[in-house]
Amino acid sequence: MKKRVLAMVLGLTMLVSIFAVGCTKDEAKADFKAGFVYIGPTNDNGWTTAHDVARLELEKQLGIETAYVELVAEDEAAVKDAVTNLIDVGCNIIFTTSFGYMEPTVALAAEYPDLYFLHCSGYMMSENLGTYFGRIYEPRFLSGIVAGMKTTSNEIGYVAAMNIPEVVRGINAFTLGVKMVNPDATVNVRWTNTWIDPAKAKEAAEALLAEGCDVITQHQDSPGPLIAAEEKGAFAIGYDYPLTDVAPGSYMTAPVFNWSVYYVDIVKQIMDGKFVSASYWEGLNSGVVALAPMTDLVPAEAKTLVNEYEAKIKDGSFFVFEGEIKDNTGAVKVPAGTKMTDGEMLSMDWFVEGVKSN
Amino acid sequence: MFRIAKRGETNNRQALMFRLLGIFGALLVTSVIVMFMDHNPFDVLFSMVKGAFASKIRIENTIVKAVPLAITAIGISIAFRMKFWNIGGEGQIMMGAAAATYVALNYSSLPRIILLPLMFVTAFIFGGIWAVVPALFKVRFGTNETLFTLMMNYIALKLVGYFQYTAWKDPNGMGFPVIAKFEQSGYLPEVFGIHIGWIIAILIAVFIYLLVHHTKRGYEINVVGGSENTARYAGMKVGKIVVLSMLLSGGICGIAGFVQVSGVSHTLNVNTSGGVGFTAIIIAWLSKLNEGTIILVSILFAGMVQGGNYIQTAFQIPASVAQILQGIILLFVLGSEFFVQYKVFYNKKEVKKA
Amino acid sequence: MKELNLTKVEHLHNNADVINFENINKTFGSVVANKDISINLKKGEILALLGENGSGKSTLMNLLSGIYQPDSGFIYINGQLVTIKCPEDAIKFGIGMIHQHFKLVDVMSAKENILIGRKEKKNVEKNINELMDKYGLIVPIDKYVRQMTVSEKQTLEIIKVLYGGASILILDEPTAVLTPQEIEKLFAILKKMKEKGQSIIIITHKLNEVMEISDRVTVLRKGEHIKTVVTSETNPIELTELMVGASIDLNIARPVYENKKRILKCEHLTVIDKENVKKLNDVSFDLYGGEILGIAGISNSGQKELCEALAGLQAVNEGKVLYENVDLIGKKPREIFDMGVSMSFIPEDRLGMGLVADMGMVNNMILKDYYTQKGLFLNRKETRKKAKKVVEQLKIVTPSVDCPVKKLSGGNIQKVLLGRELDASPHVLITAYPVRGLDIGSSMTIFDKMNEQKMNGVGVIFIGEDLDMLIGISDRIMVLCNGKITGIVDSDIVTKDQLGLLMTGKVEMYV
Repeated sequence: MKKRVLAMVLGLTMLVSIFAVGCTKDEAKADFKAGFVYIGPTNDNGWTTAHDVARLELEKQLGIETAYVELVAEDEAAVKDAVTNLIDVGCNIIFTTSFGYMEPTVALAAEYPDLYFLHCSGYMMSENLGTYFGRIYEPRFLSGIVAGMKTTSNEIGYVAAMNIPEVVRGINAFTLGVKMVNPDATVNVRWTNTWIDPAKAKEAAEALLAEGCDVITQHQDSPGPLIAAEEKGAFAIGYDYPLTDVAPGSYMTAPVFNWSVYYVDIVKQIMDGKFVSASYWEGLNSGVVALAPMTDLVPAEAKTLVNEYEAKIKDGSFFVFEGEIKDNTGAVKVPAGTKMTDGEMLSMDWFVEGVKSN
Repeated sequence: MFRIAKRGETNNRQALMFRLLGIFGALLVTSVIVMFMDHNPFDVLFSMVKGAFASKIRIENTIVKAVPLAITAIGISIAFRMKFWNIGGEGQIMMGAAAATYVALNYSSLPRIILLPLMFVTAFIFGGIWAVVPALFKVRFGTNETLFTLMMNYIALKLVGYFQYTAWKDPNGMGFPVIAKFEQSGYLPEVFGIHIGWIIAILIAVFIYLLVHHTKRGYEINVVGGSENTARYAGMKVGKIVVLSMLLSGGICGIAGFVQVSGVSHTLNVNTSGGVGFTAIIIAWLSKLNEGTIILVSILFAGMVQGGNYIQTAFQIPASVAQILQGIILLFVLGSEFFVQYKVFYNKKEVKKA
Repeated sequence: MKELNLTKVEHLHNNADVINFENINKTFGSVVANKDISINLKKGEILALLGENGSGKSTLMNLLSGIYQPDSGFIYINGQLVTIKCPEDAIKFGIGMIHQHFKLVDVMSAKENILIGRKEKKNVEKNINELMDKYGLIVPIDKYVRQMTVSEKQTLEIIKVLYGGASILILDEPTAVLTPQEIEKLFAILKKMKEKGQSIIIITHKLNEVMEISDRVTVLRKGEHIKTVVTSETNPIELTELMVGASIDLNIARPVYENKKRILKCEHLTVIDKENVKKLNDVSFDLYGGEILGIAGISNSGQKELCEALAGLQAVNEGKVLYENVDLIGKKPREIFDMGVSMSFIPEDRLGMGLVADMGMVNNMILKDYYTQKGLFLNRKETRKKAKKVVEQLKIVTPSVDCPVKKLSGGNIQKVLLGRELDASPHVLITAYPVRGLDIGSSMTIFDKMNEQKMNGVGVIFIGEDLDMLIGISDRIMVLCNGKITGIVDSDIVTKDQLGLLMTGKVEMYV
């Protein structure tokens, strides 16, 4: 009874405000507004931070408005909620920046055919839905060189997220780098089954360190493994975003993304009316991926070698996944002289020799 | 010295005053926080209301959020009527959702008109089972249902995790731990642009209202809630009533899970329940278990969440701050309920030390 | 360290007063428990605090023992203004409260109980023995509490409080659980304590005890202080008037029904509880239509189990309850009803068992026969009419027939319950403590209704605690002691003392 009175008062307040809004609603007049859906918080110091830095760069370079929603679960209800809210504030270019957003993004692209959708790291496309990613395996390979030369225990830890081709490819490229300079080293993989859970990521790293690893790298959105390495006095290679100040005693370098390269490019295309749904997948050459500046913890000869191979990759004289490559059971997967195709790389589901994964 | 005493009677005017004061207090405190964020508090708070109700998309988003809350709160309210503290809504939603997903994935060739009712029924049964287990233990061994239902949540969550990461992982997902999306036949149809979960919610509310107030079964539930001894004295089979009512309570929560997967997510994952089972407890309690009020309060609650999401998007306020604002509003609303029921007074005649 | 908030500036009061209450107010929600009460306790006297249930006696004493704090008003102890924030404060001020429900540890001996929370080790037994000698208290100090009789436990509580240094003793209904012989012993102790300079407040609603033991009587009614009188200058009739507000005829009618016929025959009823205690031990008796069979006994002597066994609510280990040669044992309440036996039962716990406190009269009236309605739905129309009829017949004071019964007064709650049970036209009416806590007016209404049923040929069982009432209304009285029948006597010839002996199981008597 009393409750009803309260409910009615609240309800009335809201009704009144609806009408008030009906009169004052001002449509966003800007022609283009880009909306971003993030899986983590913008300050995760990793994956999402890299995207958000690029978003601000996009604003600066093209002078367009942007908006974002952070901490969106990989669930259609959550993605739809976030995207419709972005559309509601006037966004007409939507970037969804996690693999698990793929199916919801496909559904939303179909529901809003007049808007542009761009999904990061997936493979499903449609008329108004393009995909984008970076050939992060190139800097991963370079970081493998660093790890292989730095390790003394010859046990290297890799905190991985999900067992999907994107992650597997990273592990393999990294291991190839390690093995090239240090054939005795092993890469030990631990799975967290989550992109972003700083506590879980740190725990996994601690377990690897306890098993004797002295260099840790990660496919995680948060710097949990860096912190674990710092606490145990080990060395670490980050991911996504350069972070020198989080773990100054351990951080050596990181394969990172410069998403602004792509964002500026694709938004320009859309503004010029030249949008074509495509799958963007570029490497070191384009600048969308890079190896972050190496700290003094990286051995000098490693630095030299990294610079050498970076140049070779850029000029095409070296390709990371070129045979002969054996898998971790000893079977030859890529014969000598053969390069893997993009299709093969995008569906990679086996580990190269030297990877220990459970 | 402050002291607290229960009020005997609170008249409506007093109650309304406390509630308005609560809302006012919430606005005041949230305003201060918003000001610290360098935003105009009037703009932000007004936008929160606008963000919940002021456009078609926003109303749709609000209602989509309100539907599972309302269904679950109604389900929980049946248990609460019996003073059976069902904290397991979350797990019951999950089990209902999992059961519906199993049907949707394995019988997708069935026509929608058969598939959806089948999903509905299995969701009801599995949600119900999840509530009946603690009920049986309580009736048989006198276990504490609060802890038991709470623990059942974690079992359900881990079970769904197992489905998502292992047992039902989509073989076409390239290793990504997702369960396949339903075929169109497993989608709830839409009416007025919103999936028909909202109609299901209203029907359930009407059904439970009739059951509780106008049937013999409902009367028994109320008597058991009033006093188990009295129920026994009147010759009722208390154990049977508790178990059957919990089947209904959990079953309805299971339907919320079905509506969620069939209406919005179109697949199952560990985020499906998303805390709805817990929020619904607050809603059921705030609504004093009244079905109509539950629907209204659910919409207001959903509006608060949607409004929170909106101000995040529109003002680029961090998600954590939006959640703090929601928490403060809730705290004040619940706090005002405290003052409606209790009074606090200051004893002025306190004897001071000489 | 706890501050006791003592102030020495106040010396307004007579030095002979150990306690002064000044304008004490205490409310619970909308219920006024104490209203502007000012009373005093003199050194070395026994003050009886007299009043009906709900008159505010216990609340007032709980203010003194630190369980509650007054909303307003002042308490002085030995002329000093004090604030008693918690029971520890009360103990420090020398106040010792003996509650109705003893606060003793069952698995400890008397000595261990006395020493709970104390550090001293030396001379303990000597000190306790001196204390017992001084006041004539007798408790074997190595006996375990669980082996003690109620009376021994009470004595132990008193010793414990005195050992703790109390000079002001409060006893809350100390005689409720005692037999007449034990009461005499208690009173002897209290008188001795008074002689030795202790000040005592005794809470009671029994007039004869007040007359026997107290020096002065303070009468409370509905939370207000009505009057304080010197016991030797008053009489029970005046006290009754003060207590209830108007002179009321205490005589209970006992009409005679000529055509008595046996309706229930109970044979060898035995009930054993979870702890393997025989709650009912080989109980056999007959119940006749047209009589009121009173059941006396110290509380928890098997009364509850007997009622519930008859009503089909209690599992029975052995024995039969025959109704026209059909055994009712093992049958559920509804099966008994379906056999055509209408058994009405007014349980001791009215709101916890007889009624649903949160429901209104209508929903409570429908409780026992709702299941006989056909179909899924529940029709309350007839019941609503019935409820309104009961309101008129029993003069129930309620805002509406839908007002939750918990908001009604005790007497009206009992009338609702009685109204429903009588509406079923019972063959057997079982009433457990039907007038407990009721004012005299309501009690008389209940007794009238019981007599009315008896004169209709109904077999009435009346479980009571007040022996005067039991003798007054019953035709025969059956006495239970530890689950056994110690006597079935004709109430025309039995005396209270005889009943008391039967209740303790010292003698057996059948008439």
